[in-house]
Amino acid sequence: MHSIKSLQHNTRRNFYCVAFCVLISLLYVLIMNSAVAADVHDNEQSVQWKNIETHGVKQPVYFHAWGGDAQINAYIQWVAQQVKAKYQINLQHVKLSDTSEAVSRVLAEKSANNHSQGNVDLVWINGANFSTMAQHSLLLKGWADQLPNFKFTDPDNNPAVTLDFGVPTLGMESPWGQASMTFYYDRMATLTPPQNLNELVTWTQQNPGRFSYPKPPDFLGLSFLKYALVVLHQESLIASNGLQSKDQHVHSYQDALYAPATPENITEVLQPLWIFLDELHPNLWRKGKHFMQTGLEMRRLVDDTELSLAFTFSGPEIPAAVKRFDLPQSIRSYAMADGSLSNTHFVGIPYNASHAESAQLVANFLLSPEAQAYKQQAEVWGDKTVLIASRLTAPQKNLFKTQTSHPSALSFNSITRTLSEPHPSWVEDITLGWQQRYGVAP
Amino acid sequence: MTNIQNKNSIDKAVIPKSKGKNNSQSGSQLNHSTDWFTRMVKFSPKFLLLLLIVPVFGGLIGVLLPAFGWAPALSQYDFGFQGFNALWQTSGFGQMIGLSIATGLVSTLLAFVVTLMILAAFFNSVWLDRIQQILSPILVIPHAAAAIAVGFLIAPSGMISRLFSPWLSGWELAPNGIFPHDPYGISIILGLTLKELPFLLLMALGALAQPELGKKLRSQHKVALNLGYCPMTAFFKVILPSLYPLLRLPLLAVLAYASSSVEMPLILGPNTPPTLAVAIMQWFNDVDLNLRIKASAGALLQLALTGGLLALWLLGEKLVKCLFCESLTNGRREYGGAYWQTITGVVTVSVIVFIGLALLGLVFWSIAGFWRFPTALPDSFTLLHWQSAAMQVGEPLFNTLFIGIITTLIAISLTLLCLESEQIKGKLLSRFTSLIIYIPLLVPSIAFLFGLVWIQQLLAVQVSFISYINVIIAHLLFVLPYVFLSLASSYRQLDSRFAIVAASLGTKPCKVFLKVKLPQLFAPILIAAALGLAISFGQYLPTLLAGGGRITTITTEAITLANGASRRTSAVYALMQMLLPLIGFILAWVLPKFIYKTAHR
Repeated sequence: MHSIKSLQHNTRRNFYCVAFCVLISLLYVLIMNSAVAADVHDNEQSVQWKNIETHGVKQPVYFHAWGGDAQINAYIQWVAQQVKAKYQINLQHVKLSDTSEAVSRVLAEKSANNHSQGNVDLVWINGANFSTMAQHSLLLKGWADQLPNFKFTDPDNNPAVTLDFGVPTLGMESPWGQASMTFYYDRMATLTPPQNLNELVTWTQQNPGRFSYPKPPDFLGLSFLKYALVVLHQESLIASNGLQSKDQHVHSYQDALYAPATPENITEVLQPLWIFLDELHPNLWRKGKHFMQTGLEMRRLVDDTELSLAFTFSGPEIPAAVKRFDLPQSIRSYAMADGSLSNTHFVGIPYNASHAESAQLVANFLLSPEAQAYKQQAEVWGDKTVLIASRLTAPQKNLFKTQTSHPSALSFNSITRTLSEPHPSWVEDITLGWQQRYGVAP
Repeated sequence: MTNIQNKNSIDKAVIPKSKGKNNSQSGSQLNHSTDWFTRMVKFSPKFLLLLLIVPVFGGLIGVLLPAFGWAPALSQYDFGFQGFNALWQTSGFGQMIGLSIATGLVSTLLAFVVTLMILAAFFNSVWLDRIQQILSPILVIPHAAAAIAVGFLIAPSGMISRLFSPWLSGWELAPNGIFPHDPYGISIILGLTLKELPFLLLMALGALAQPELGKKLRSQHKVALNLGYCPMTAFFKVILPSLYPLLRLPLLAVLAYASSSVEMPLILGPNTPPTLAVAIMQWFNDVDLNLRIKASAGALLQLALTGGLLALWLLGEKLVKCLFCESLTNGRREYGGAYWQTITGVVTVSVIVFIGLALLGLVFWSIAGFWRFPTALPDSFTLLHWQSAAMQVGEPLFNTLFIGIITTLIAISLTLLCLESEQIKGKLLSRFTSLIIYIPLLVPSIAFLFGLVWIQQLLAVQVSFISYINVIIAHLLFVLPYVFLSLASSYRQLDSRFAIVAASLGTKPCKVFLKVKLPQLFAPILIAAALGLAISFGQYLPTLLAGGGRITTITTEAITLANGASRRTSAVYALMQMLLPLIGFILAWVLPKFIYKTAHR
């Protein structure tokens, strides 16, 4: 700009010359800009991050996370020790029995005009809770993709870390781990657990009262319904266009289940699910008239021998429970042959968090190869990492080495097929439809 | 522990007596009206009122506005009935209400009837004291822990079923049963009845232990026996009419609690649909924030429902009075007393066996290794569950004790000051004040706590320990009434001559209070403190809501774990929940034997 001004001064009379010079300087700026764009961007990012690092240290972070699992709680304790050593951050795990408690808390603060002194600094979310918070603008935007460790997730080739149940995260939450649905059974009660959804129906007829699922909107209960819906939806599509190749089916079922539900297609898409449940329910635990409140209760009922077959979204908790005597030694884990429902879980920062910078430091640490590798160890938590191996250096990859597994653990590579989560808008319709049909015992 | 109840009975019986001494004190009032202590004492009842009225009524308003559609948080400013419309349209709404009414009413009635039967059958016998000794520890067990224990016992794989399997039943796997979580609410009724029975029994015994009333009733009972009345008939015709007025308030508190509590129905109740109170809590915590309007409307309905039940109870009281008034004087001596005596014996024994088995099961689970159904004893024992709990219990334990102790200290000081103000002013607290003290026990907590949280957030005081202050205020609402109940009669019965002598020797009022009155009250104060601690330890909803989930106590942990994966961890926390208040009562019982020994004759 200085050069332009001085040029202007010198050649005031020659308008064309001025115009030319302006054009040249503009071009120069443009070219230079695009040439150094990446560099500048990186520099900016690191400067920003330096800022966050200087402001974020020596503060408390209130991490609101579901606290129903001793292993996960212990892992968060480990994280707390690490960030204490690294940044003098005092990480407090606020144990929730349901993540929606944190959502309501932030909302209540917003309503009370508390826009900067929020109680929640970091929250563990995904799916419906995320879409609610995003919808009500309760989350800080555009920070997650700026985290230095985010590059390890290979976001360009790995949409799982920027899509939460099909909804773009827009940098509002940072990926933490991946989970897949795992089934487990009691070998002393049955030797032939069902391998797919159809076998499940016949198995429950042979073993009445030995299987059930938690009552929606419980996370695990909904997961079971979504697993059934995705499988049934595929089947119904294959049945209706029998001759088309499989790839095309995958494409067409994605259209309905992986886009927002519309009033027109709800009845049609969900119909197979209700038919399936009508057939399944009479042979469930308590004849399908009462459902357990949580997924954890389901695990206890397996220990009580009331149930012989159950499922979980964190496979490693099963061998861990056997080690703690919470499940019998006769438990074995396996994955359904027709697919395992899989999803990514994230951490988000509320828009009014009191210690947003510190929370970003914690989120970045959660993404570090060291924290992700420790988390993936079966005896720690066993949660699958979100990092992509090709982005890691050799010593970082070494951190992820595996150990021999427990007899009750899911054997390596037993998940042959994964099913993606449907769009979150379906959750509400499934819950509502379920509530209307089965929510009140006849 | 029995002492608590001895002091429990409310003012009525004492009123005529206290008039005499009040006159003598009004003289000293003039001399010290400018004394700072006297001024503080005189102000204390007003402060007490403020402390109770503001949160309760403020909380009610905080629920009232959203119920009618005014919720700035949700950008809703239109007054209307949308919340109520949503409420009526909830599927299973009728069942919800029915369940709340049935469990509340039936459990209270059952606990009351069994209490009367036990009192009638064992009145004036040594067995009454023994039953009391066995049952009184139940009083200090928090509801959540009791529910967990009952759940362990009646589950299809529970202790009862294990005792009969497989030799009798042939069950190799746990059978398909309906308990707990049965759709009829039987498990809830069972849990509530077992928990409220000791409370009512001890309240009744406390009333009967009042020197004058007790003596009068016992001699009247003897007269009736001499006239040939069967002991049970004599109890119902002679004692009950005088005893009932003293039991009315505890009964109403039990009824209000039973119809609106969340702990028991959450752990033992059905969920298709749950009780109204549990549903309200779930709506408040739901992801869909618009459900909060419905939840607020539900909270108002809960208020009406509990109010209706209380009114129904009072109406029933009148009806019973009308129907049976004549039979009191009809002279009939015998109503099959022998049968009733046997039935009462059987009921009492089964209640005690039931509780014993439940506690035994809890202890076993807390140290069990693998324990597959149907063996009645664990395969192996381990301390693993206690060890892992010990690793994590530090903060919850600190919070529990810190909040409990601070709350109890405030409650006791305030109660003592209020009672002192009675003596300085020379008249009992106004009826209005006495009523307000018990308001938190009669208004369903779920109805005002959510509003209270909203107000606390609105004030948004930025102090780092604000959540502790909020929780302590919320706990005070429930601790104060019990501490007041526990201390009032012993304070009012205090021999005023000591204070008069001290004052006439020129001692200042504050010195009289601290050096003369309090040492004499050392034992009752400790009992009240133990009671206050026990109540504070057991609070779930107030801790959860006012603390914003940041403050974990043993109770919140126990309930989070109750429906969780591990019976073993759950048992450990339930036992810890029981042990804490028990330690308090043991201290309260032991300490007076060593300190201020001379104050006791």
